[in-house]
Parts: sequence; structure tokens; C-alpha cells
Amino acid sequence: MIRLENVTKSYAADVVALRDASFDIAKGEFVFLVGPSGSGKSTMLRLLNRQDRPERGAVWVAGRNIIDMPPSRVPLLRRNIGNIFQDYKLLSNKTVFENVAFAQEVIGKPRHVIRQQVPAVLDLVGLAGKEERFPHQLSGGEQQRVSIARAFVNRPLILIADEPTGNLDPATGEGIMRLLDRINKTGTTVVMATHDQRIVNTMRKRVIQLDRGVIVRDQARGVYE
Amino acid sequence: MSDLFSLSRIAYTLRETWASFQRNVTLTAAAIITSAVSLLIFGLTLLIQHGFDNLLARWEGGVEMIVYVQAQTSDEGRAVIEENLTKQVGVTIERFEYCDVQCSLADADRVLAGDPTTRGLLTEANIPTLYKIVPTDGTDVAFLRGLKVDYEDLPAVQNVVLAEEQLDLISKLQGFISTYTTGLWIALMMASGLLIWNTIRTAMFARRREIEVMKLVGATDWFIRIPFMLEGLIQGILGGVMAVGAMSFINWRWTNGVASFPENSGFTALVVVDGYQWTVALIILVFGALVGMVGSGIAASRFLDV
Repeated sequence: MIRLENVTKSYAADVVALRDASFDIAKGEFVFLVGPSGSGKSTMLRLLNRQDRPERGAVWVAGRNIIDMPPSRVPLLRRNIGNIFQDYKLLSNKTVFENVAFAQEVIGKPRHVIRQQVPAVLDLVGLAGKEERFPHQLSGGEQQRVSIARAFVNRPLILIADEPTGNLDPATGEGIMRLLDRINKTGTTVVMATHDQRIVNTMRKRVIQLDRGVIVRDQARGVYE
Repeated sequence: MSDLFSLSRIAYTLRETWASFQRNVTLTAAAIITSAVSLLIFGLTLLIQHGFDNLLARWEGGVEMIVYVQAQTSDEGRAVIEENLTKQVGVTIERFEYCDVQCSLADADRVLAGDPTTRGLLTEANIPTLYKIVPTDGTDVAFLRGLKVDYEDLPAVQNVVLAEEQLDLISKLQGFISTYTTGLWIALMMASGLLIWNTIRTAMFARRREIEVMKLVGATDWFIRIPFMLEGLIQGILGGVMAVGAMSFINWRWTNGVASFPENSGFTALVVVDGYQWTVALIILVFGALVGMVGSGIAASRFLDV
């Protein structure tokens, strides 16, 4: 599903974010990207949805090298990738329903499909009955669930999560992880960058560890260390 | 591209455009008013030009002298004038052209457009016909004045008018007004384009989070751009509509005012009463739409990566 081949990405001559990184992620895998701040986790996620391009190497997503992809095709790639952020990135002037529906509206899904799929996904993330609330009327955990619902409503092949539990207390974070695990079990590939040692150690999924842009460990059913 | 025009997308685009309008009320109003003022000056420039063209129409093609023939002059009387003119052709006169009764009435329609009362007094029976004369050397004023005296003495001639008596002053006035109004509308048009550009940039900055989310969930750049371009387009068109309203009012007031001017004031032709006003209105609307579209289109493309 995802393959990086000798990817190098730098932001300036002396700031190398990723150096010669290579790995394969199969369909339906759940992978943690771990490492200290500045180790290249977020850069790696940005490369996967073509927010950034590397200087060298290839990034394959769903069988296509997205580095050479023309800009007009990038939106189609992104429709297959859901994004979850530490700060949720919800639209404060829209309700829960509207935030989730937004992801379908902007890619032209018909209204009857939106009316059918949004409640279903809100039910999946445990927010049934809160459709009309605004983000400021929700707890942090609930806001992250909205963000997950928005990322998942188009049934993407891949879910990219950048520190999704970073702003949440441990109990709420566990709830979010259970939700991501459920989504993963539907066949969606999940790639998650995190600092949360406890979560990584509890989940025992594949762990790719980065240090100053270099992959130093790639371990199946790994722990944080 | 086809799904860009699906019903849900059209509904979404209109909703977002309306929301953006409401978000930037003061900036939007400023952009519309500036567009309206610049388009109004543009429209008035075209109308003034047209008015001057009416005034100068009879002097087109190098005509430097007009000999008015008394109404109801016999063919013999006209033959005397024409014989004199024909003798001069190739010597002092390059060519001449006779404007008969119908031609003179059409000319009066133009020249007296702002003075319907006077125009109403002219009929086939009393309108003077005229000869338009193109001299070999139009710059020789002394010669033309001499020629004028010669023709004034002919029996069937009502009067003789030289271009220098009307044309020079009007041409200077036309050049002066055209230069300044053209400069002014170009400057204001640029200002309104920039203001629309800035309004769209501000709108995009205010919605940068939304745009970021839209891009991440797979919205195309065109889909993101279109509501902003539509906003600019509507601003330009609204400015155009206001300009057309103001221009029609000013033109109506001027046309009514000119009717009370003295008949020989020279202003009676400086009006636009034909369909040209509506052509200008259409040009204004198209121009307004273009300025809005281009300003917002550039901003929407340039600031998409907010």
C-alpha cells in the first residue's frame, strides 16, 4: 500500500528531515512512527499525501509513485487518504454534522449520500445525537472523534494520524486508539506518528523509529523503547 | 470537470460565496463602490466621446468649409455654386460633397439631438442643404477665409462656416476631456481591481483553515477557487449595475439640461439619446465582471497555499 524508496528530504542545506528512508507498509497494517521531536515523523506523513516532495527517492502510494504525479491528480490521491491532527483542525463555525459532511461536499458527493453516510460514521465514532453541536461545545476527545469521522467518512485506503492523542488525557487517548484500531480492522491502513509510549506499548503494532531523519528501527509488534 | 457542476457543488459554491460576502461586508462595499465610480467615469468618457463625435461628424474626412444653401433654392441657383466649386477642384479644392435634404435632416437629427424643439421646426421645406468642402491645403487659414468671403457673395448661399470656427475649439476640448477622463478611469479601474484582489486575499486568509482542510480531503484547486472568483465577479457586476444607474441618471439630467441651452451654444449635439447609451451600459457590465473576475482570479490562484 505504501512504499518509500531511499527518500531524502531537507528543508535547508543543513536541515535534513529524512535521510535515505525506505520501508514498505502493507494494506491493512497499523504502523506507529516514533521518535523525538524533529526526527522526521511529520515530514514522513506530509510526503505520504504530497504536501511535500523529497529531493531524492520515490514514494509509492496505492501502486503509484506520487512524486511524479501531476498536481491535477493530487486531489484524487488525497481522497484515498484520511488525515487526523493533534489540534483536530475542525471548522468552528460548522456543526459536528457539517464538519464531517464538509469532507464529502468538497469532493462533490450528492446530498442524499451525505445524509446517509455522515450519521453512520458519527455513530461509528460514538457521536450519535451530537450532530448539531459546535466544536466548542465538545470535549477534546469528542472533537478528535469528529476529526476521525471526517477523515474516515470517505472510506479512505489510508489513515494518517499526526499525534492524535497529543492533546488528550490518557483515558480519552485510549478511547481514540480503540476507535483507530476498529477502523484499522475494516481494512484501512493506519500510519500514526506519536510520542505516547504507553499507547505504543499497549497496542503492540509495527513500530518504525526515526532519529534525526534516519530510520533506526523497524519492528513488528514493537514497543516504544 | 463534469462533477464540478453537480447540483451539490453548485449549491455549495453559492452558499460559500454568500457566506464570504457576509464575512467581509465593509471591504466588499468598498470594492463595489470603487468599481462603480471607476466604471461610471469609464461610461461617461464613452458618452462624452460619442457626444463630441456627434458634434464633429459633419467635419469628418478633412472637411474644412461648409456652404449652406438656402432652402427651396432652384436647381439653377445650386448650379451656380456647384459650377464655382467644380472649377476649383484640383486647384484649391481637393473634392466637395453635396448633402441633400434627406442628408441634411439626418445631420440635424445628430446635431440637434439635445434640442428637440429646434429640430421639430426643421422640415424638408425649410432645411438648408449644404456642400462639404475639402481643400487641397487645410492648413492655409488665410486662403480659407478668402474662399469663405467669395462663396458668401453667391446668391443662393445662406451662410458659410469654416472648421476653424467650430472644430478647433471642440477638438481641443475633446482632447483635453478625453485625456483626463481616460487617465482617471484607468487609474480607478486598477484601484478597484486591486481592492477586489485584496478583498479576496483577506477572505482567503480568513478561511485558511477551511482551505487547508479542503485541500487535504481532496478538493481540487478549481473547486476552492470558484467561490472566491464568483465573489469577485459579483462585486464587479454590482459595481457595474450601480455605475449604469448613475450614468443613466446623469445622462438624463444632462440631456434635459441641454435643451434649455441657447440654440447656438454648440452643446445641442453633445448628448446621447440613441441606443448607444445601452451599448455603453453593456460594456460597463462586461468590464465590471472582467475586472472582478481577473482581480479575484489572480488572488485566488496566488494565495491558494495559505
